[in-house]
Amino acid sequence: MTSVARSSNTRKIKNSLAKWLITLGGISVLFTLVLIFMYLLYVIKPIFESVSIEPDMSIALRTDSKVLSTGVDELKEVAFQITSSGNIEFFSLLEDEQAPAGKLLLSERLIDTTDSLKLVEDAGQDKKLLLTEQGQVFVVTPQFTAQYDNDSRKIIPSITYPIINSSIQVDEHAQNFTQLAFAMDEEKAVFVGFTQDKRLIKTSLISEDEFGEEDGEFETIFQEIDYLAHHIDDIAISPDLTMVFVRNESHVSVFSLDDDDIVEEKAQINVDFSNRPDAKLTAMALLSGGSSVLLGDNQGQVSQWFEVSTEQGRQFQQIRTFDAGNEAIASINTEQFRKSFYTLTDTGNMGVFFTTSEAELWQGNIAKKHPTAFAISPRSDAIAIAMYDEQKSSTILELFNVHNEHPEVTWQALWQEVWYEGYPEPDYIWQSTSGSDDFEAKFSLVPISFGTIKAALYAMLFAVPIALTAAIYTAYFMTPGLRKKVKPTIELMEALPTVILGFLAGLWLAPIMEKYLPAIFLLFLFLPLATILTAFVWHNLSRDLKEKIPETLAPIILIPVLIGAAYLAFTLSPLFESAFFGGDMRQYITNDLGINFDQRNALVVGIAMGFAVIPTIFSMAEDAIFSVPSHLTSGSLALGATQWQTLIKVVLLTASPGIFSAIMMGLGRAVGETMIVLMATGNTPILDWSIFQGMRTLAANIAVEMPESEVGSSHYRILFLAAFVLFVFTFIFNTMAEFVRQRLRDKYSSM
Amino acid sequence: MISVTPKALSADAHKLDLTKLTSEQTALDIKGLNLHYGKKQALQDITMSIPKGQVTAFIGPSGCGKSTLLRCINRMNDLVDGCHISGEINLHGENIYGKHVDIASLRRKVGMVFQRPNPFPKSIYENVVYGLRIAGENNRRVLDDAVEKSLRSAALWNEVKDRLHESALGLSGGQQQRLVIARAVAIEPEVLLLDEPTSALDPISTLTIEELINDLKKQFTVVIVTHNMQQAARVSDQTAFMYMGDLIEYNDTNTLFTTPMKKQTEDYITGRYG
Repeated sequence: MTSVARSSNTRKIKNSLAKWLITLGGISVLFTLVLIFMYLLYVIKPIFESVSIEPDMSIALRTDSKVLSTGVDELKEVAFQITSSGNIEFFSLLEDEQAPAGKLLLSERLIDTTDSLKLVEDAGQDKKLLLTEQGQVFVVTPQFTAQYDNDSRKIIPSITYPIINSSIQVDEHAQNFTQLAFAMDEEKAVFVGFTQDKRLIKTSLISEDEFGEEDGEFETIFQEIDYLAHHIDDIAISPDLTMVFVRNESHVSVFSLDDDDIVEEKAQINVDFSNRPDAKLTAMALLSGGSSVLLGDNQGQVSQWFEVSTEQGRQFQQIRTFDAGNEAIASINTEQFRKSFYTLTDTGNMGVFFTTSEAELWQGNIAKKHPTAFAISPRSDAIAIAMYDEQKSSTILELFNVHNEHPEVTWQALWQEVWYEGYPEPDYIWQSTSGSDDFEAKFSLVPISFGTIKAALYAMLFAVPIALTAAIYTAYFMTPGLRKKVKPTIELMEALPTVILGFLAGLWLAPIMEKYLPAIFLLFLFLPLATILTAFVWHNLSRDLKEKIPETLAPIILIPVLIGAAYLAFTLSPLFESAFFGGDMRQYITNDLGINFDQRNALVVGIAMGFAVIPTIFSMAEDAIFSVPSHLTSGSLALGATQWQTLIKVVLLTASPGIFSAIMMGLGRAVGETMIVLMATGNTPILDWSIFQGMRTLAANIAVEMPESEVGSSHYRILFLAAFVLFVFTFIFNTMAEFVRQRLRDKYSSM
Repeated sequence: MISVTPKALSADAHKLDLTKLTSEQTALDIKGLNLHYGKKQALQDITMSIPKGQVTAFIGPSGCGKSTLLRCINRMNDLVDGCHISGEINLHGENIYGKHVDIASLRRKVGMVFQRPNPFPKSIYENVVYGLRIAGENNRRVLDDAVEKSLRSAALWNEVKDRLHESALGLSGGQQQRLVIARAVAIEPEVLLLDEPTSALDPISTLTIEELINDLKKQFTVVIVTHNMQQAARVSDQTAFMYMGDLIEYNDTNTLFTTPMKKQTEDYITGRYG
């Protein structure tokens, strides 16, 4: 082989190696991007998945009588049922080698042997209120305790009595009830019932210490509520023991329980049936948290009501309605922790809804008729229904798996106004966590997307004029010697960690700006004025004097002038403040102009983030202007154009694609910037263009909340969605920028 | 290859005595011009008179200062850092390096076309009216007339009249150079400086431009810098040979090319160096 052939072979190998490496590099970059995109989508996907309800198991159990109540434990391993004969039976839902599912674990009698149960009501926190035919009242809690032995977990069921393990006297006159409701907290328990002699009564038990303590002593107060009716269909007490809702057919009255001495009707809820004269209410339930009441009617409509602050005080208003088919709603069951509810009809049709997001999650048939008992598992991941077969005297317990993890998130809830409980009107709100337990997370992406745009816009407002004029001066007017020093210095600013900028902005700049607010506005006036004045004086200076100053140093004359102007602005600030703003501009803005003032506001962010963005814009714009070919400028000058005319008509035009790119890059950076906005915005997710108010951006929001969000929760997934939105934002900005830049380049590119 | 046809053989040039031009015959009168770039002297004591309505060519090897001298005539050297000029250039008896000269209005009187075609990234129309617009002319009719007139005198009208509002960057190199000439002509200068106007063009375009130069001298005094001696011989009436910043010989083209007086000139035109 000749050496020529060998070297050509080597060259071939090198060529193909380089080709493969470059291709590999390019593809892996693309692949990584796609992977990030896919991962974001993968995490986000479950929040938009539709709800599914699938039968899990069906167990036939021999029972002596009808099942009035059922339930399962958190892990869906043990279920219980309370029969009308007064027994509670726990049985295993696990199958093992020895026995199929349905093995009896515990059976206990809850009431006297001669008595039987008339009514079992859920009373919140797993408590059950039992009412017997003879008028005895019990409160019991079926409990599940996990026990670990030999590395296996076992659920041990038991019964506890939260108040007392014997019958509680509720009516002073020992009458039986047709309806009875119960709710309690640690120190107080309240019963509201309608007796057979048609009295509506309230009975409070007030414990000396806490219920469930050893002595178990409490004081009983009997009260009668002024209410006339032949019968009552539903009674519901809010879990905070402040209100009781009483439904008598289509009439719903709300009584305040705040006052221990007298129970007063505070409101009536009248559903507007003027369009549907045949409609009447058939079901009532309180939503989790107890602020909202749900009213179902015989035409399948459910309306949600809660108290809203109006000019006439707090009033119940119909907030929204849900359509659950055409059949009468027989019962409404609500989840314990979320604002979901389940409607059931007599034909066994079920509807699943989420109130806040106005989501109709699922509708379908789960049984042939209305089940005798219905329960939602504690984690809301399953429902249990009990169907009693009278002929065979057996009960079939059916379990359904419910996949409904993120009902509160819908496209509407994320991007449109939502009317949350207790708010006077629908609004865009981001509030992911709070101190209270019955808090409902509010996930509107609108305020934080808005905050992102607002922060970026104020930053650009500050940065673009400064960066562009600086770039024009440096590239076009500055002597090459000085340019060589100035350009790298400004570019070095880009390397400044933004955490330092944010830190300075939040802790140093913001308080100063608050204190010397007029000075900041004077600066915007004084600095340009001082510059123009200096230029004017310089222009009229005698030639001899000018020649003594080296050209490189001429611009430096401005520095002391600008420092002087800034000093003057700060000195004049208090004077200005007392002359025009009554001594305190901040107070003036808040009190006289009625504008809210945050210490960490858009002005601070604009300046701090503008500062971070300036080097990016400056550097790229300067390059673009500097690389305008000199033969174009000479061509213009040779036609008798002045420097200014050449700059405006030729240089900026030719450099426009580059300048546009520079601005878009700056915008991209401002949108994605995290540390500065995190530290200097105050992170208040509000929708307000005011320069004196803060904001929260997508990036800062992710940084602030990611550590405290539970993995897999709606909050966690929405933060990923926020990241995705940010990704889309920058993607759109870059694509737009590239598109416009290409168009401009085709139009104005020089040879 | 384009044949060299010394001017005298084809035309009966009435000879001018370049040392004794009357002020009416003179377009530019250069007296004792020295130019320094920092410490380096680029032009040494140049004195010459350029006659009106004729084509004068500057020739010489690279770096001899011919382009620098040309750029002195419209003060384009002012833009160069560390450039210092002494001496006079009189345009109609007025020193362009005088104290109260407005450079912009001087450049309107002395137009210039550069080596590489440099149309602005604008339409053909806007390129031509650029000089008028910056002088404050905005009357549509005046501009339209100027465009047609200038493009006709640059022999470009027929080729572009249907696409005046398309980008000038879409034209070919030769068309672009003629457009640049039209742009310079549009402001009706007295002197037109051409700095190696055909060095970036193909032979056909070069020929078109050379024919154009012949037409242009009817209206303007043309000063051309060229590397190409044949071109100088073809288009110019007077030729100045420069070497190392000195004006070696300046005479009518025919005489300079046929009977050069200096040895350096002869060496150069016979191709012994350069």
